[in-house]
Amino acid sequence: MFYNTATYIALAIFTVGLIYKMAGWFRFSIDMQNKTRTPQASSRILMAIKGIITTLFSPKILILIRVFIEDVLVQMRILKEDTLRWLMHMLIFAGFMFLLFTHALDKFIFTSLFNKFYLTLNPFLLIAGLMVITGVAISLYRRLILKVPRLKTTAIDYYALIILAIIILSGITMELTKLTSYEYYQTIWIIHISACLFGLAYLPFSKMLHIFTTPLSLLTNAAMDEKSIQENIKTRQIMELDACTRCGTCSNRCSVAVAFDHLGNKNILPSERMEFLKAYYTDKNIGPKGLAAIQQGIYLCTNCDRCTVVCPAGINLKELWFNIREEMIGHNQLVELILTPFSYYRGLQVSRFDAKQYNKPLAITWEKITDPYKLLRQPDDTIPLTPKNQEFKKSVGLSPQAKTNAYCFTCENCSTVCPVVENYEDPQKDLDLLPHQIMRSMGLGIKDLAMGSKMLWSCLTCYQCQEHCPQGVKVTDILYELKNLCANEAKQGIKTEKQNNCE
Amino acid sequence: MKFTFFIGCNIPTRVQQYELAARAVSKSLGIELVDNPDFKCCGNPIRNTDQQTFLLMAARNLALAEKQGLDMMVLCKCCFGSLKKAAHFMAQNPQAQADINSHLSKENLNYSGTIEIKHFLSVLYHDIGIKTIKETITQPFKKLNIATHYGCHALRPSDVTQFDDPVAPVLFDALVKVTGAKSIDWPLKLECCGAPMYGIMDSLSMDLTQKKLADGLGAGADYLCVACPYCQMQFDNVQSQMMSHNKHKHNLSSIVYPQLLGIAMGLSGDELGLGQNILDISNIESFLE
Repeated sequence: MFYNTATYIALAIFTVGLIYKMAGWFRFSIDMQNKTRTPQASSRILMAIKGIITTLFSPKILILIRVFIEDVLVQMRILKEDTLRWLMHMLIFAGFMFLLFTHALDKFIFTSLFNKFYLTLNPFLLIAGLMVITGVAISLYRRLILKVPRLKTTAIDYYALIILAIIILSGITMELTKLTSYEYYQTIWIIHISACLFGLAYLPFSKMLHIFTTPLSLLTNAAMDEKSIQENIKTRQIMELDACTRCGTCSNRCSVAVAFDHLGNKNILPSERMEFLKAYYTDKNIGPKGLAAIQQGIYLCTNCDRCTVVCPAGINLKELWFNIREEMIGHNQLVELILTPFSYYRGLQVSRFDAKQYNKPLAITWEKITDPYKLLRQPDDTIPLTPKNQEFKKSVGLSPQAKTNAYCFTCENCSTVCPVVENYEDPQKDLDLLPHQIMRSMGLGIKDLAMGSKMLWSCLTCYQCQEHCPQGVKVTDILYELKNLCANEAKQGIKTEKQNNCE
Repeated sequence: MKFTFFIGCNIPTRVQQYELAARAVSKSLGIELVDNPDFKCCGNPIRNTDQQTFLLMAARNLALAEKQGLDMMVLCKCCFGSLKKAAHFMAQNPQAQADINSHLSKENLNYSGTIEIKHFLSVLYHDIGIKTIKETITQPFKKLNIATHYGCHALRPSDVTQFDDPVAPVLFDALVKVTGAKSIDWPLKLECCGAPMYGIMDSLSMDLTQKKLADGLGAGADYLCVACPYCQMQFDNVQSQMMSHNKHKHNLSSIVYPQLLGIAMGLSGDELGLGQNILDISNIESFLE
């Protein structure tokens, strides 16, 4: 009686939970900038059904079969990354699946097919159970002793390991006590069944959901490309968030992971951004601090696509980043990284934007980066001869290469060879100052002039100026240092602005 | 001859033909390339805003190469310039090097400055030599005019990169000439391709690219030849965007140097990824003798 009632309750919770999760895939969308154009959930469900049916009756079915065997069953993607991890996952996967089909669902599947084998199966059950336990042990070893880089362990991971361990250990004990002590057996039976049913009921909300979502992600990504039905891409992107197990492979391979070690902003790591996204797509209230952190995290990316190539769940991470990047930099806020070569990829993708959407973050950043330095924008002001900004003069003379600005005798060679200056009819109108004028502003300690010109951020870093300086002034390197100072001040500025807003 | 192979971020995803062709040509010339999957971004893109992070990113790669005990062969000129700059900076600032090493020690890495960083073209010119390359040419080009584009971050600052004479370089021209092609004189040969400002101020970037293309065509070039993924993307991807916008009528396709050399060596088009360029370069084979 207890068994039947509990089973139905657990199944009901499992089913409702799964439907709730799946409903989320159709209700939400990552690129929220186009929210007005986001289609209704009902039409997205229809499109998904249409997509699935057309794929199943097309030659793509062969690709799906291959991916199912290679990536879902054999898990080649994990094997390529790490043999120990593959062994761990395979032990849990194979052992658990064997137990699921021959033991838990034996009434429905196994005995109906091979009813004569029941008794001889017991040793196999024990072996499968031990496989899972060994897998769990390897997992704990990797997480706690080996401390695999970029593998973060949270309550979600502990829950998954503990529930697995309880189910299997109670199962093994139960089998062993079956013949010796009936009372003991009954108690253990209750623990075993409760753990199984709890695991089942809680599955849609736990990491174990990846049993369904990860194969789904591998298969949908194998069948879809950017020309697929747009609604289905949106749906897949939300589903992919549930397919991520935060295994850390992407972060381990991430080209800019070193920047995380230095800056400490965890949003630089792709697997941590997935965690951010899981919370963000339902609740967009992240506050100014969270926004600045995710802006830096999402823009500090060379778009090398390694994360997408190595993801064991086959998640199309690069497209997720593309969508979320636009969402994040579309706020009315300076993102200093926009003025770096990290923007090159965005430029290559220009045909995917409408002009307004493409230009807005650029225009805001260009305006805000020069904004604090007022002098250039007030041409009627006379520049006072004294006092010079001694503090600034000292701060830019700190590094050996920046000190070379003192050798400048304003021969204008740097400005003459500069291809940026040469590009404009009236360079001072478009660039505010020329390179030699920036060098002299530093010598005079006029901070607003040294830091506020468009020339500073229009520098190609082609090093023509530095190469041609007869005085050995490290012009390009100095421009780099001034940009660094500017970026720092901009960040400080954002901080104080936010503090004021918070008060 | 053995190098650890630094490919960078752009080549494996957007300029794969450069990697393919460089590997094929290296194999034919007896250069052994060892891959290191732990190499990451060279740090170049973050130099504008954060030089400390840049230094750490560059130094980590150098330390990894040092751990392998191999000199580094770099394909990208921006990566090359960036790694060279970091090595130079640390050599001049022992304190900076010590700070970086204390960071690197967390990963059991250390940089002491014992390896050399070489660009692919330098390896071909200095380590292999024009004479040896000439012996491998089986089908030289004839009457092919190449506008050789040197690329800024290899050439300058010359005291740091030590690539070639910054005002009158010869290295790349000699490598083009050995294929039988003519390396033409063109006034903007040593100028920037425009890539660093693309995505930041597109009008400026495309103006510079357009000037270079017009200059090359005016000097009678049939093709541009580059040895850097940024230059290639600018002359290939961005030029094709410019053409589709109708802002721009020129068409001067760009070929990556190992593709040019590989064709003259008789390697197949597939090995060299000739079909992967966006602007068609297949016509170049009509210039073979």
